[in-house]
Amino acid sequence: MSDELIQIETPFAFNEENQRAFDALIGRYPIKEAAMLPTLHLAQKQAGYITPAVMKYVAEQLEVSVMKVKDVVTFYPMFFEEPVGEYVIRVCHTLPCALRDCKVVLDHLKEKLGTDVASETNLAKGTTADSKFTLMKVECLASCDVAPVIMVNDDLYKNLTPEKVDEILDNL
Amino acid sequence: MIEEKRILYEHLDVPDINTFDVFRQYDGYTRFEKAIAEYQPEDIAKMVMDSGLKGRGGAGFSTGLKWSFVPRDIKPCYLCCNADESEPGTFSNRYVLEKNPHLLIEGILICCYAMGIETTYVYIRGEFTLGKKMLDAAIKEAYEKGYLGKDVRGTGLNIDIYTHPGAGAYICGEETGLIESLEGKRGQPRNKPPFPAVEGVFGKPTVVQNVETLCNLPFIVGNGVEWYTQMGPTYADTRANPPTPDPNTGTKLYCISGDVNEPGVYELELGLTSTELIEVAGGLRGEEVKAVIPGGSSAPILTHYELDTRLDFTSLTLAKSMLGSGGIIVMNETRNIVDCLLNIMKFYAHESCGQCTPCRWGTPWVRDIVQRIADGNGRKSTITRPKFGVAENGRWGDTGETEEIYEDLDLLESVANNIANVDTMTWNTICVFGIAVSWPAVSYMRKFRPEFEAAIREGKLVTLSVAEATVPPEENYAYQQRFVPKEFADL
Ligand SMILES: Cc1cc2nc3c(=O)[nH]c(=O)nc-3n(C[C@H](O)[C@H](O)[C@H](O)COP(=O)(O)O)c2cc1C
Ligand code: SF4
Ligand code: FES
Repeated sequence: MSDELIQIETPFAFNEENQRAFDALIGRYPIKEAAMLPTLHLAQKQAGYITPAVMKYVAEQLEVSVMKVKDVVTFYPMFFEEPVGEYVIRVCHTLPCALRDCKVVLDHLKEKLGTDVASETNLAKGTTADSKFTLMKVECLASCDVAPVIMVNDDLYKNLTPEKVDEILDNL
Repeated sequence: MIEEKRILYEHLDVPDINTFDVFRQYDGYTRFEKAIAEYQPEDIAKMVMDSGLKGRGGAGFSTGLKWSFVPRDIKPCYLCCNADESEPGTFSNRYVLEKNPHLLIEGILICCYAMGIETTYVYIRGEFTLGKKMLDAAIKEAYEKGYLGKDVRGTGLNIDIYTHPGAGAYICGEETGLIESLEGKRGQPRNKPPFPAVEGVFGKPTVVQNVETLCNLPFIVGNGVEWYTQMGPTYADTRANPPTPDPNTGTKLYCISGDVNEPGVYELELGLTSTELIEVAGGLRGEEVKAVIPGGSSAPILTHYELDTRLDFTSLTLAKSMLGSGGIIVMNETRNIVDCLLNIMKFYAHESCGQCTPCRWGTPWVRDIVQRIADGNGRKSTITRPKFGVAENGRWGDTGETEEIYEDLDLLESVANNIANVDTMTWNTICVFGIAVSWPAVSYMRKFRPEFEAAIREGKLVTLSVAEATVPPEENYAYQQRFVPKEFADL
């Protein structure tokens, strides 16, 4: 994929706040490229997901090829290349959580939201029709002592039961 | 009853310990001040070497020794603090970051002073939003108070700490994967050598150290080596002549999860047994222990009769397992080991970085075999074969008996061992992720073979009783070679 082939629908640029954050970031590393992950996090926060325009913009800022940015984006599960819901719900399903019945929590969420679980290549599958929620499974969130756990956007919820899940969803 | 020995976690629950002022009331930064006032950098490095501190991130490599590999004449040198904590079953670093971030900063300062380092990157896994926020706030405070930045406390030292977020990839916890990721690339591990100590991030010497390892430093400096080495066992490595001391000193933040009544982080002196640890953690939830994973999901499993193995680096290595990251997962009699292995293999199949063919293809293959067995479609041959073993004449050979051929179990072992061979400890891959895959796969299958065979025979998952599911000690490949190391003092 060369730069010209990318269809740019809506151009992207950092807003003022993120621009400031980016300027602070870039001074931390001896090479600009090293700021890739934090920059992509900033961009994703602003744009919702990593569009081709975002990749192009980030590539320009870091003075690398768009291909390189794409390479990184496809590697890391936390970067989305498709739109996701307003709330991203991550359900941990690794062994310690599985021993504490995370499946019950997952099934309850599926039923309650009326959606399937997203896969990395198909986020739409786990997104509700109103684009409010995206449901996905993730690997150990390093909170196995309070399993089962879920993350809703940046917040962790512990020791879950279906009732607690209802409460969390109601309070969003 | 064993008591917790809280050192790193002593002040964890003090309100507002995350602020500079409260941390300061509890001796905060005094150990760093002691280091710069009373010791030369080389003295600190020597103290760390003498303390016997071993890395808490997974490999258990001597920290002092690692530091001694770093060339002193190449500058800049970097410190990467590994806060990627993604090994299933591990959660001790999270609490340090969220509750007591200044302790980590103090540890980093001591390391920087000892190694002449000016820049530290703390690589925090992307999901730790709260941890990153708390650490960032603490770093900001430390800058304001003059403990970071240019000319720290008027000593002429320049020390900067930056946090760097990951983005959800387990492999970025591997030290060279972390370095690649820090450089803004895919987190794909590098071939070693060169080791990071010689050529790491941005091509410069780099010390990679886990959060917990760094948090030990203030206490080693503050209380002295003698105090530190009294904690935990020191064994004699009798392979060397004269035997060399093999220290397992200090405390460990044991993370215990699964079927116990009070899961959590317990700080204890190294060297207690699984049985003792389960007791500390409120006892077993259930009737009987079926299995214990002693060091995060990568570690080979322990059976119910291996629970007296001491949970320290040396003892677990001798028991053909590892302490790894100290994540202990307990399973009771209701658990099906095939099902547990399936869960873990799904994890590894998802997390392989894809560079090496044996790992990229082998790991999903292992997962698929276990899936097949769990679904009741495991393959078994209709013919039998002669059983080899110790024959009547006492020699290895045909025993005259026949055995059934469980094709899928043979295949499972063969595929796993071709990623990384657990018997010879050689791997066909760039990083030791390969071992982290084949270790659980082979150990679960060999130690709980009856349960795997039952699933294939019956065409569905069958949970056997603990006694039935476990192979007896004389058939356990790891139990055979195990010996309990002597205390150094006993020699
Ligand atoms: C697949 C894999 C994952 C790892 N994950 C982590 C991790 O999440 N955190 C960590 O501190 N070390 C992890 N390690 C160990 C590191 O490679 C490295 O040994 C460690 O950070 C060194 O620090 P230490 O000597 O203080 O333990 C991992 C190793 C491997 C092979
Ligand atoms: S062993 Fe697996 S995880 Fe490690 S470098 Fe090779 S493919 Fe990547
Ligand atoms: S397995 Fe769910 S938090 Fe560790």
